[in-house]
This record gives sequence, structure tokens and C-alpha cells, in this order.
Amino acid sequence: MPSQKKNDIAIRMEDVGIEIDGELDSGSEDEARRRDRNRKAKASPRAGGRNGKPATSEDEEEEEDQDEAPRKRARKKKASAQDSEEEEEEDDRSVKRKGTKAAGRKKKAVEEESEESEEEERGKKKKGRKVTNKKQKDEQNKEKKGDAKGKGGKDKGNVKDKKNKNGKYSRECQAFVEKFEGALGKGKGRKLYAYKVMMAKKMIKFNRDFDNFKTACIPWERKIKEVESHFGSSVASYFIFLRWMYGLNLVLFAFMFGLVVLPEVMMGLPYGSIARKTVPRAEQERAMDISVLLDFGGYCKYSILFYGFYNDERTIGVLQFRLPLSYLLVGVGIFGYSLMVVIRTMARNSDEGGDGGDDGQFTFAFKMFTSWDYLIGNPETADNKYASITTSFKESIVDEQENQKDENIHLRRFLRVLANFLILCSLGGSGFLIYFVVKRSQEFANLDQDELSWFEKNEVEFVMSLLGLVCPPLFETIAELEEYHPRIALKWQLGRIFALFLGNLYTFLFALFDEVNAKLEKEKSIRNATIWGLNEYYSNYSSYHNTTDIPPPDIHPADVIRGPCWETAVGIEFVKLTVSDIQVTYMTILIGDFLRAMIVRFLNYCWCWDLEAGFPSYGEFDISGNVLGLIFNQGMIWMGAFYAPGLVGLNVLRLLTSMYYQSWAVMSCNVPHERVFKASKSNNFYMGLLLLVLFLSLLPVVYTIMTLPPSFDCGPFSGREQMYNVVMETIENDLPAFIGNIFTYATNPGLILPAVLLMVLAIYYLNATSKNYQNANLELKKKMQMARDEEKNRRNNKENTNQVMQDLEDLLPNRSLLPPAAEEENPPPDKVREKGSKSPKVAKRPGAAANGKGVNLQNDVSLAAPNPKAAVTHPPGPRGLSGNARGPPPGPVRGRGRGTPPPRH
Amino acid sequence: MGSTNSTLSRIPNVEELMQETGFTPAHIVRLYDRFEALDKEKTGHLRPQDFGAINRLAMNPIGDRIIGSFFSTGQETVDFHSFVRILAHFRPADKNRPKDPSMPQPVNSRTSKLKFAFQLYDQDKDGKISRAELLQVLRSMLEMQVTEEQLESIADRTIQEADLDKDDAISFEEFRKSLEKVNIDHKMSIRFLR
Repeated sequence: MPSQKKNDIAIRMEDVGIEIDGELDSGSEDEARRRDRNRKAKASPRAGGRNGKPATSEDEEEEEDQDEAPRKRARKKKASAQDSEEEEEEDDRSVKRKGTKAAGRKKKAVEEESEESEEEERGKKKKGRKVTNKKQKDEQNKEKKGDAKGKGGKDKGNVKDKKNKNGKYSRECQAFVEKFEGALGKGKGRKLYAYKVMMAKKMIKFNRDFDNFKTACIPWERKIKEVESHFGSSVASYFIFLRWMYGLNLVLFAFMFGLVVLPEVMMGLPYGSIARKTVPRAEQERAMDISVLLDFGGYCKYSILFYGFYNDERTIGVLQFRLPLSYLLVGVGIFGYSLMVVIRTMARNSDEGGDGGDDGQFTFAFKMFTSWDYLIGNPETADNKYASITTSFKESIVDEQENQKDENIHLRRFLRVLANFLILCSLGGSGFLIYFVVKRSQEFANLDQDELSWFEKNEVEFVMSLLGLVCPPLFETIAELEEYHPRIALKWQLGRIFALFLGNLYTFLFALFDEVNAKLEKEKSIRNATIWGLNEYYSNYSSYHNTTDIPPPDIHPADVIRGPCWETAVGIEFVKLTVSDIQVTYMTILIGDFLRAMIVRFLNYCWCWDLEAGFPSYGEFDISGNVLGLIFNQGMIWMGAFYAPGLVGLNVLRLLTSMYYQSWAVMSCNVPHERVFKASKSNNFYMGLLLLVLFLSLLPVVYTIMTLPPSFDCGPFSGREQMYNVVMETIENDLPAFIGNIFTYATNPGLILPAVLLMVLAIYYLNATSKNYQNANLELKKKMQMARDEEKNRRNNKENTNQVMQDLEDLLPNRSLLPPAAEEENPPPDKVREKGSKSPKVAKRPGAAANGKGVNLQNDVSLAAPNPKAAVTHPPGPRGLSGNARGPPPGPVRGRGRGTPPPRH
Repeated sequence: MGSTNSTLSRIPNVEELMQETGFTPAHIVRLYDRFEALDKEKTGHLRPQDFGAINRLAMNPIGDRIIGSFFSTGQETVDFHSFVRILAHFRPADKNRPKDPSMPQPVNSRTSKLKFAFQLYDQDKDGKISRAELLQVLRSMLEMQVTEEQLESIADRTIQEADLDKDDAISFEEFRKSLEKVNIDHKMSIRFLR
């Protein structure tokens, strides 16, 4: 180890000597710049003292080091005496730099004085200077060996610059000393330096390890990479989205659990103490039945999971925790947080997607020569790497294929319009069907339940699931007409199914609101009855006992008459929906993927046709369905979280299990898509859909919070007119009065309207600016591409050994007269195969052919000698010319592949 | 310090070697340790099997070519000196060393690194990576699922991209051009040697 250190030092020493030379050798431009900087630096001298000696320091400076303090004092006077020797001043400055911080202030004063004097001087010399500047530079170059002292300035103009120059040298020296202090020093300094070097090495190692550790800490990174290497980035993008969603839900869960559920459990009243926390007498018998519990009735219904369980006490526990307020704020805060996160992620993603760093120039060559990771020593990793290289090649092939096809633009356009028309038709049809069915079910609801058949009762669900079953494959089939790039096709598919599912959402909400309204009616009557009963009780009690001190009626909490509590009912609906969704998803995977794979795999031994290649085959991973399932599930969570705080926890569990379950299912029972395609770098499309769903689920929740009256006997807001009254109460009771005033002013429409207006204006302005930037970006990209093309063309022209041929190309107006070129570009497939399969010797044939061609061409040229040879005499010719030279002859394949830049997404 | 010197003294012509490859004594010692570790039978020469023991090479699709690059044609073994000379290709480029015109190409320059990589692909040493050679590499690099047709189109496409003079093969110059943007100095360096 010590020997190595020594070597390092040795290297440094070598470097050192060289570096000085190198720096001083730099051009005069550099010098000028540095001088400029020095001038600036003069105004604010650094006080960073250095104890090392400058390598090229001269004796005087050392001296000054020692008798620094007296010098300074002396200078104060000297500075006022303007024409002190310039040398002195220079030394002065270096001393100043060396001074300690303590002396800094004093120095500043000195500096100012001297600065002033300099200023005067400068004014005088301004004219003379420019002339002398050039002279200066030359001189500097001559005497670059850094005698910091310089020669005595003879003419006045010179002196000034010399000062700067000297300053520069001493500065350089200083920087140098700072850098190699220890290596130059003896004894202690050197040891310190060795130690520093060692620590730096350790630090590098540590950083690398830490990076590895960080990567290892990203959850499921390996799983996702594994999936990506076998199924391509598009499938992986689903899992990345799932992981992101899991993170989001974890945060939401932390909010909900920490601020609502936990306080109620810890500090609230226990189960059975009041009516809302007790199972009613009528239900008690069956409250523990598993079928009831699975329907979230019984004990489940009166548990912490649902809205109704929470008490309306303003503060609970010793901490005076304001649970109702916290409940409302968390309910709204979940939306706020989600909105913020989604939008921020979208913005960041679009940032990343924007850089056009990798151009499509050498895609295949890059992949070919550089994709292997030479540190792989583990067979499993190696397998994955093989798979991922294969996949990435396949992705590139798909991209390339898509770039190359544009046969009949009119037909394509027509087909696309047709496809969209068909899909719009089916969307409209299914929308109408849903509307019709919902209307009918409302009619049925008014009839007697016994008269209806089973089908009539479940008509809505039946139609919905039928649509969900039929429409996506239908859309997919229609989308075949469009022949989009699979990546774009996926987006369309997602959008269309999304529109279809919106109908689903609509019916669900519609039914829910009907139910809520019915419950509200029922509640009103029960509430009136309860109030009436209580009044009766009070009046009876007071008249009977003849007292005004009336104890509350002594009824067991289980026997209290209570309202239907619509909030809990809504919560239960959402939880049920989520659970059934989980069940359906998991069962589909189990049956549709796992069982199918099992059958295909094992029944294949005794079946009349090839199951693996033939009809059932293995399933593919359904990206669009899974993504949309995830998004809509999240919508349910957002809507339901307010009425069922336990729902978020349930969802966290669901996402966690589905991560493992799905990645297992994908790896074990699915096969990669036929056309593996590269996912777009940012999955902003998913995010956009998520944002839309978030907004859609925000609406009903906010509506219910703002308009519907809360139940009178359950939940944290019971007894209040509106839910948001909690906020008002807090402002009135707990906050100082002026805040209430501010709040009143702030909610004044006169203030809100201008604020909204302002925001709209800001949005408009920002939008316009971003458009401009986008355009500028596009322009720049185009320019870059053009520059690259130009360079390439130039290179081609210059390095084309067969210049004669080029000349000829210029000559011939009709390139199709060049049969050999065309042939070379489009080798017949059989020839290609032959070349590939035979020995490498055969591969030389094209070269030979080219030679033969060259000979022929030469003959031609001799015929056409007197023609202009512009292209040859000016090899790096202008674009137009070179473009001309390289125009059509490369044949159809080549021309499209290279000449025109591929369309960017 | 002492061990270093004793190890160094065991290697003949060590000064010359250091001069030639630019390695420091510490590097040489380290490499010598490595060499001895690989040389199981203590013959002072390495055979291809000895390299095969490194599983990173065993996993590599072109591992045998890399091993082959250590052996000059016709030779079955490699001694320490040529071992070090080959490895010198992977020494990181020196940053702040001046360009010395008298020594035209240090062995760890970008060009010679690329040359080394190029030779791995150019099996028949004709100065060109032909289509067949590309196909060979592709076959070893990709899984079975890729059809022969696809392999061929990949090879064609690669050549098409890189090929500037249209001879249907990739010369060294073209190879260099196509990898212009790749940070070879970074990728083909073994940082522990610094």
C-alpha cells in the first residue's frame, strides 16, 4: 500500500511540472480572459491564506509574508501617496491574499483606497492602454516563465498591465500550491497529502458501493428488469406504473391511518359505548356470520373501517385532537396530494422525454457492438441479458419497420377514418344501451321486487359486463385497420376503452346517488321521529318527576333507533366494488393465464393439433386492460376513501400482492407480444388518464361534501348542517378573530373572481410561452439533424474513394440508367441468404463486383470528360451539391432509411 | 514496500515493460499476482483453459474471442509480458499528460482501444468486419427466438448504417465512425488499474 501511495505522488509530481508549462503555453486569448478575471477579483480579494510556498515564488514575497503586519500599516499611508512603485503594489496584493481573515476588514479599507487611486490612474490612461495592449501580450508571451516580479515598468501604460499579469502569476502559483501542497511539502504535509489521497480513493469506492446500495433499495427493480428483459419495455412500463401507484397509495394510507384511524382507535370511545359504535339489536344475531362479514355487514359495518364509526366530539383524548376537522382535511388533502403528485410526475416525465439525445443514426451498430455488459458473471444474469438484447433488437426492428412503410397514404387515411367511425358508432351504441338499461332499472325499482325476474333485477350488471367483455377485443380488431405503430395503437386502444369504462362509472354513480337520495328521505323521517320521541320523553319526565334536571334516556346503545347512515352505505359499496374487482382480476389471471398455460403445456402431448402454436396458445400480457384496471381501481379508492377510511389500506394490500402475483404470472404463463415495441420514455399517457379519473372522482366527493347534509347520528360530522361547517367552527372557536376576518374577506366573491381571472391569464401566458419554447426546440432539433446529415454527406463525399463514380452520378440526369448501383442496393433475397450461409470468402464478392463496376464506369467517364467536375474539386461541397450527388441512386431502401430523418415522437 | 520490490525483482525486464505499457510498479505487481492466480500449474504461461476459469469470460458471448486475443497466432500459451501488453489496452487514458509527438500512439489511446475491439469482430483479420462475421456474433448474442431472417436483416441493417464506402463490410475507419459517440475511453478501461 505505501508503495502505491508513493507512486501516486510521483505521478502527481510529474504532472505538476508539465502542468505549469501547459498552462503558461495557453494562447493569448486565454491570457486576456484571465487578466479580466483578475481585475474583477481585485475588487474582492480572497482572504484564504495558504501556508504553502508557491513553487515559483521569489524571495521578496516570502519576506513580505513575515513582516506582513507592519507593512500593512505602512501602506495605508503609502496608498494615499498615489505614485508608489507599482511593484510594491503588486506585492501588496499578494500579501493581502495571504492575510488572515481577521485582518480582512482592515484590508478592505486599504483596498478601497488603492482601488480609488487606480481608478484615477485608469481614467488617465484609458486611451493609451488599448494601443499598448497588444504589445503587452507579445511581451507576456516572451516572458512567460513566470518571474512574478516582472521587470520594472518603463512606460506608464505598461505598468498597469504588468501589475495584472504579475497578479495572475502569483495567483496561478497559489492555485498550484493549493493543489499539490502536500506532494511538494516535507514531513507532515506530505503525510497529510498521502492520507488525503487515500481518503479520496476510499470515498470513490464508498460512493460506488452506495450507488449500488441505492439501486438495490428501489423496490422490485430486479423483478421489473427481469420482466423488461423478456417482455420488452412496454410491459415493464405497466409494472413501473404499478410501483408508482403503490408508492402513492402508501402515502395516502399514511395520511389516513396516522391522522384519522389511529387517533380514533387510541383516544376515541371504545366499541359498544355509543349507538354508532354498536351493532343494532336486530342484526346482532347474524353479525358474526361469515356471509354477512363478507358483505361488509355486521361487525364490519360498525367498525373503524367505515365513516359511521367515527364520533362527532370536537376534541378527543388528552391531546385535544380535533378528529372531525382532521377527517375532513385528510379527505380533501388526499385529493390535493394526489393531484399535486400526478401533475408533478407528468411535468418531470415530459422533461425527460424532451431530450433528443440519441439519434437514430447508428442504432443497430450501437446495439451490436456495445450492448453486452462485460461484468456479468452469473448465468442467470447472463440469460436475462441475452433476453434483453434480443428484445431490444426486436423493438428496434419494429420501429424500423414502422418508419419504412408508407405505401398508400390515401388508403391509410381512409381506413383510419373508417375505423374511428366504426369505433365511435360502437361507443355511441354502448352508451345508449347503458342509458337505456339504467332508465329501465329505475322504472323497475318502483315496481314490486317480487314480480321481477332474475334477469330484470340484474340487467345493468349483466349489460355492463357484457360490454366490457365484447368491446375491447372489438376495438382491437377495428384498430388493425389503422395500422398504427403498436405504441400509438396502444394509446388509442387505451383511450377508447377508457371512454367505454366511463359509461361503467356513470351507471355506478347514478345508482349510488339514487340510493343516497332514498336513504336521505328515510333518514329525515327517522330523525323527525327521534326528535319527537326525545321531546316526549323530556316533557313526560319533567312532568312526572317535576324537575328540570333530566337524565338522558337510559337505552342500551344497541337498541337506539338510528338512521340509515348513507355515508357508511356508500363506503360499503365502494369497498365491495374494490374487493370484487380484486377477485375478478386475480381469478382472470389464474384461469385465463395460468390454467390456459397449464393446459396448453401439458395437454399438448396428447392432442390432435399443436396447442402451443395453434389455437389457444399462451396468453399475451394485456397492457391496456391492466393499466385501465389499475386506473379505475384507483378512481374507486379516491372516491371511496372519504366514506371508508379502511379502503386505502385495503388497496395498499391489493397493490402489494398484485405486484408479486402479476409479475409471477407474466414470467410463468405469458409469452412476449409478437411485435415487442419500445414504450415511450415517459408514461405520461397513463398519467394523463389517471389525472382524468382523479378529476372525475373528485367531482362526486366534493359535491357530497358541499351539498348533502351529513347523517344526524353517525360519523364525525353528525349534528351539523353541512360537513364543511367543521372548518367554520374551528375558525370561530379556536383561532383568533382576525383570522376569521381574513377568511371572510378571502371568500368574498369580489376577491375570488379576480383571482380566478388572474389564474386564467397566467395559464394562458404560460401556455403561450411553452408553445414558443416547443417550437424553438423543434427548430433546433431540425437544425441539428440537418447539420448531422450535412456532415455525413460531406464525409461520404470525401471518403468515397471512387470519386470517378461520383462524378458520373453528377453527370447522369437519370439514375435508373445505373443498373449496377441499383443491383447493389437491392440484393435479391436468395443471394443474400447464400452469402450468409456460405463461408466468409463469399462475402468478398460484392467488393469484387464493385471493382468491376468501377472499371466500367471509368470507361464511361472518358467519354464524358469535358463535363464540370465541381463535386470533385471541392470535396466538402455545399449541401445542395452533395445532396444532388447522393440523391436518388442509393435506391429506395437506402434512401428512406437514411436520408429522411425518421419521424420523431 | 519490501514485498513490492521483491515481486518486481522476480520479473525480468520489468523496467522495459513499464516503459512500454505505462503501468506503474504497483500495477505490475498487482497484475503479476493476478497472473499467478490464474496460472494454476505454475508454469509461467497461461493457456486458454486458464482464462476459461474466469466466469465473466465464460458467460460472455464472445468470450472465446477475447481469450483468443491474448494469444498471438500459432501460439498456445501466453507469458507474463504479453499478458501485460494486452491488458495495457485497458489502461485508462491519461488525462493531463501532454501529447508527445515522438511517441505517436500510446497503447491505451482511443484508437488502439477501438482497434482491439475491432479485432474481436474481425475474425479473419482482413481489416473488415464482413456480413458473415457479424452474423456469427449475432447468433451468439441473441436468443433462439429470433429467426434467421431477422438475424440477417439486423446484420444488413448494421452494415448499412456503418458502411460508408458501400463495400458491404465494416472497415476499421467505419467502425470508429459509428462508435464515435460512445465513450470508449470510459467503457474500455479497467479503473482498478489506476
